[in-house]
Amino acid sequence: MTDTHTRDTQWLRYMVLHQEREDKPHQHAGTVHAPDAEMALLNARDVFVRRPECVSLWVVRADLIFTCTQEELALHPDWIESLQPSGNPVEKYYFFAKLTQKGQFTHIGEVEAQNPTHALKIALQAYPDTHGFAWWVFPVKAVLKSTPDDIAVMFGPAAVKDFRDQANFHALSVLRKLMRKQEVEESHES
Amino acid sequence: MNPESKQALIDYLITMADDELILGHRNSEWCGHAPILEEDIAFANIALDEIGHAIVWYELAADLQGEEREAYANHMVYFRDVRDYRNTQLVELPKGDWAFTMLRQYLFDQFEMMRLEKLAQSSYAPFAEAATKIRTEEIYHLRHTQAWARRLGLGTEESHRRMQAALNDLWPYALALCEPSNRAELLTQGGYIPDSRALKTAWLEQVTAYLGEVGLAIPTDSSNLPLSRTHHTEHLGQLLSDLQQVARLDPMAKW
Repeated sequence: MTDTHTRDTQWLRYMVLHQEREDKPHQHAGTVHAPDAEMALLNARDVFVRRPECVSLWVVRADLIFTCTQEELALHPDWIESLQPSGNPVEKYYFFAKLTQKGQFTHIGEVEAQNPTHALKIALQAYPDTHGFAWWVFPVKAVLKSTPDDIAVMFGPAAVKDFRDQANFHALSVLRKLMRKQEVEESHES
Repeated sequence: MNPESKQALIDYLITMADDELILGHRNSEWCGHAPILEEDIAFANIALDEIGHAIVWYELAADLQGEEREAYANHMVYFRDVRDYRNTQLVELPKGDWAFTMLRQYLFDQFEMMRLEKLAQSSYAPFAEAATKIRTEEIYHLRHTQAWARRLGLGTEESHRRMQAALNDLWPYALALCEPSNRAELLTQGGYIPDSRALKTAWLEQVTAYLGEVGLAIPTDSSNLPLSRTHHTEHLGQLLSDLQQVARLDPMAKW
């Protein structure tokens, strides 16, 4: 552990969860590296909110997310049943599920539990209709979130930067026009 | 607006635009070379923002002269020589190391932020409107560079050493950034721009406090260089030859 730690100069990996509209759940957008959560949130904005709409952004350290897949559960059918509360203090966990093969992990709800595996068990019971293919649980307190005040500052400017939209660059149509012109000239010459 | 104020305002807008353009170009030199991928994207983004702000200020200057906006901005960027640029020397200095770049950007952003807050109340409505819009982006820039300044200033021995060295080098140039431009008083009296002296005092107070908080000391013995916006270092010529060479190959080309 110490050995890997001293050798690995990579920064921590953070999962980025973004919400496109108030009425939509948070979804996994991707990953950023950062030395701490605040920098991760700034990096997340720059990497993932350049064009798409966004009203809220969360970051959580990847190693604090407990993940489990449908296959893993199928391999160990009794495991989830055997889980017992651990006696740790109860805290809130977010429950995310990957509902379709192509879809991203999506925020389903919250549960109160004593540890991540316990949280998964409770969540699968609490949300029986949203099982999907794989799940994430992580403590609510592990998440750093953008605030409503950040919307205008962090996400607003991207919405009007149409110079980033390739449709606004007419290089291709100009090139086609030039090529047509050249063809016409050549046909006149011959 | 009387003709004298109008000309002073045009000159003032050009100093602002030139600062943003040259700094944006310097920052763009990090594209593909920033310390990590995420920062590469973030900083290229900031560089683009600065160049975007430059265009806004050139366009306001064009409007005041009844010039066509795009043609005017293109002329100002691509077809002026070193001696006609009115940027402050702070922004033309080579990008240096990451500490130098981040600290310069912080000092500039903090000044820009405070100036925009005041310009949002300019008596020239288009100026106030543009300042309000740009301010939103500048809040984010400042947050970004403050975050870096804190981590580098309080980080390792080496990061701290590099930051302090950068501050020692940058300080006289940063002070010059806040110096009033030609006929600034006339513009202040007309309510077009904030009072330069008050702005400088507020900026000094702010950056001294923040840099102190992140473990950096403002140099006390830095020489007061006679830095004016009509004199440039040799670095600006090199920068402009990069920036202008393609446009000058074929001035009539349509892009």
